[in-house]
Amino acid sequence: MNGFFNTAIKLVIVLLVSMSLLQAKDKLRVVTTLTDLKSITESIGGDKVDVFAIATGFQNPHFVDPKPSYILKLSKADMFVTIGLDLETGWVPPLLNSARNANVLKGAPGYVDASENVSLQQVPTSVNRGEGDIHIYGNPHYWLDPVIGKIIAKNICDGLIRLDRENESFYQGNLKKFSDGIDTKIKEWTGKMQPFKGAKIIAYHNEWVYFEQRFGLKIVDFLEPKPGIPPSPSQLAKVINEMKRDNMKVIISSPYFTAESADLVARNVGGKVVTLATSVGADASIKTYFDLFDYNVGKMVDALK
Amino acid sequence: MHRVQWRGLRLCFIALLSTSANAQQDSTGVADSLLIQTLQQQLSQVAPPPAAPVAPRSAPSTNPNMSVIGDFRMSYQSPAHRHIDAEFHEAEIAVQSVVDPYARADFFFSVARDPLTGKFGLDLEEGYLTSLDLPAALQLKAGKFRSMFGKINNIHPHALPFIDVPNVYVHYLGDDGLNDEGLSLSWLIPNPLDFYQELTIEATRGPDDNPNFVRSEVDRYLYLGHLKNFWDLTDNATLELGLSAASGQNDSAFASVLGGIDLTYKWKPLQFNTYQSLVLQAEAIWSSKRLTETETVKSWGMYALATYQIGKRWFLTGRFDYSNLPDNASFVERAYSGVLGWYATEFQKIELEYKGTTSNVLPTANQVFLRSVFVIGAHGAHAY
Repeated sequence: MNGFFNTAIKLVIVLLVSMSLLQAKDKLRVVTTLTDLKSITESIGGDKVDVFAIATGFQNPHFVDPKPSYILKLSKADMFVTIGLDLETGWVPPLLNSARNANVLKGAPGYVDASENVSLQQVPTSVNRGEGDIHIYGNPHYWLDPVIGKIIAKNICDGLIRLDRENESFYQGNLKKFSDGIDTKIKEWTGKMQPFKGAKIIAYHNEWVYFEQRFGLKIVDFLEPKPGIPPSPSQLAKVINEMKRDNMKVIISSPYFTAESADLVARNVGGKVVTLATSVGADASIKTYFDLFDYNVGKMVDALK
Repeated sequence: MHRVQWRGLRLCFIALLSTSANAQQDSTGVADSLLIQTLQQQLSQVAPPPAAPVAPRSAPSTNPNMSVIGDFRMSYQSPAHRHIDAEFHEAEIAVQSVVDPYARADFFFSVARDPLTGKFGLDLEEGYLTSLDLPAALQLKAGKFRSMFGKINNIHPHALPFIDVPNVYVHYLGDDGLNDEGLSLSWLIPNPLDFYQELTIEATRGPDDNPNFVRSEVDRYLYLGHLKNFWDLTDNATLELGLSAASGQNDSAFASVLGGIDLTYKWKPLQFNTYQSLVLQAEAIWSSKRLTETETVKSWGMYALATYQIGKRWFLTGRFDYSNLPDNASFVERAYSGVLGWYATEFQKIELEYKGTTSNVLPTANQVFLRSVFVIGAHGAHAY
C-alpha cells in the first residue's frame, strides 16, 4: 500500500514538474476577443506570440457565452486584446472578474483596448433603451474599416512593446509592414468599389457603418426595426417599399442571422441577399484580416454589378 | 501509513503552488532579481505621448454600475381558500464596481414584503468584496454572499429559467437559498489535462433562517466545499460536474451534513447561438441531520430539468422534482413542472409555469405562476 502511494505521489510530482516546464514560455500568451484581433496580433507579434481568440469568426460578437474554459485561458494570459466600447459587455466582464490575473485587467500593461484613438461613428448624444440595443460610446463595429485596422494594429503593437521591450524593433517593423500592406490593398479595394459609389443598400443589423463609409455605400435602412430587436412584419413591409421606391437590389446580412427575413424581402423586390463576413474565419477561406476585405469587397462587387 | 500520505499530500500542495507561481513568473524564479528587473523595465520605459481623443466618449465617472430588477408575479393555486393572487415578489437593487486595482465590490439590496408584517422592507441580499489579484490563481470573497453549493444556489432567482425554486432546494437550502456571512476562497486547480477545475472553500457564521443550518451560540460555524469541473466537449457542447459538501449546526444543536452532486450539459450552436440551445441539468442533495445523541435522519432529494430554446425569444423548460424533508425521510414529494418563457430583450422576460405536486402526506396541489422580470440600468452579465 505504501509503495502504491509513493509511486502515485512521484507520478503526480513528475507530471506537475513537466507541466511547469511546458509553461516556461518564451512566447507571449495573448487572448483576444475576436478573430480579427487575433489575426492582427499575429501579424505584429509574428513568432513571438501565441494567440487565442475567444469568439469564432461566424459568431455574433455581442452574444458569446462566458465559458469557464475561457477563464482558464485568461488566467494564464500575458496580454488581452478587446474591441472595447460596449461590444463585449455581456461576456468579457464575468471572464475578467474570474481570471485572477491582474496582468490583463483594465489599466494593466497587458490590457489592450483596440478602440483607443479610433474615430467613432454614431456616438449618441443621449441614451434610451427604448431605441433598442444602443451602444453608449458609439458604433463598436469599427474593425470593418481596413484603414482603422492600422490604428488597431498600432494599439496592439504598443501593448506588445509594453510587455516585451526587447523586441520593440521587431514589432515596429511588423507594424510598418502591416500598415504598408493596408495602404497598398486599400487602393485595390476602393478601386473595385469605385463604380458603385453611392449605391443604396439595406442591412440586417446596424454594424456596417464603417464599411459603408470607407467604400462609399449608402445603407438606407435595416431589417431590424431597432438594433437587437428581431425583424418585425411592419419593418419588413417598410423596407420592401423603400427598396421598390429606390430600386434597391441588395440586402447585406451576417453569418449569425437566420435567412428567412432577408430572403422574404429579397423575393418580394427581386433582389439578393449577400452574407458578408463580419470577422476573420466567418468563411473558411478568410484566414487573415486582409482576406476579410478581399472576401467582402468581392461579394459586394458581384452583388452590385 | 497515514504519515506517508500526509507528507505526500503536503509535497503535492507545495508542488502545485510552485507550478502556478511559475506560470506567472519568469522561470529564473528569484523574487529579488525579478523585482529589480521589473523596476529597471519600468525605468527604461518612456511614457508614450498622450494622443488627443478623436471622438467624445461618455463622461468619465466613478459612480458604480447600478441597476434595478423587478420581479412581479401572479399565481393561481388549488386547493386553497384564495386561488388567485398577485405579488411584487422583489425589487433587487444591484450596485457594482471595481474598488481599486486589487478588488471589486458587489452589493445586491432586496426590497421585498416581510411575511410577518406584510410591509415592504429593504434587506441586504448580498454584499461582498472580491479579490482580483491574489497569487496562485486564488480568489477571495468576503462579506455576505450566496454560498457555492450545487449549481443554482448562487444564481439569483430572477435569472433562473423557472419561477419556483426546485423542492429539494426549498427543503434543504431554504426558500431564498443558502446565503451567509463569512469568507470564500476559490482556487483554479492547475491540472495536466488543462480543463477548468475550481475548488471553493467557505467558512461562514451560520445562517439565521435556514431549514438545515442555524447560527450556533458557541464556536461552531458553517463549512462548505465545492469542486467544479468543466469540459468543452465540442465547440457547441459543454459539460459541468460539481461536487458540494456543507456541514454546520442544526436547530437540534447537533451537526447537519449536506452532500451534493450536479451535472449540466449545454448545447448551443456557435453560429446561431441566439436562436437555439438546449440545457440538460440534474442535481441531487443528500442530508444527514442528527436530531439526538442516538437519532440521525438520512434523507435526500433531486431535480432534473431540460430547457430547450425553440426560437430567438422562446424557451421551454420541463422539470421533475423529488424530495424528502431534512427531518423526515419517509415524507416523499414529487412535482412536475413546465415553463414557457418569452425573452423580449436581454432586459425583459415573461414566464408562465404550471406545477403539479403530489406527496404521500399532503393532498395533490396544482399551481400556475406568471412572472415578469425587468431590468433598468447597467445590469451586469450572468456567469455561464
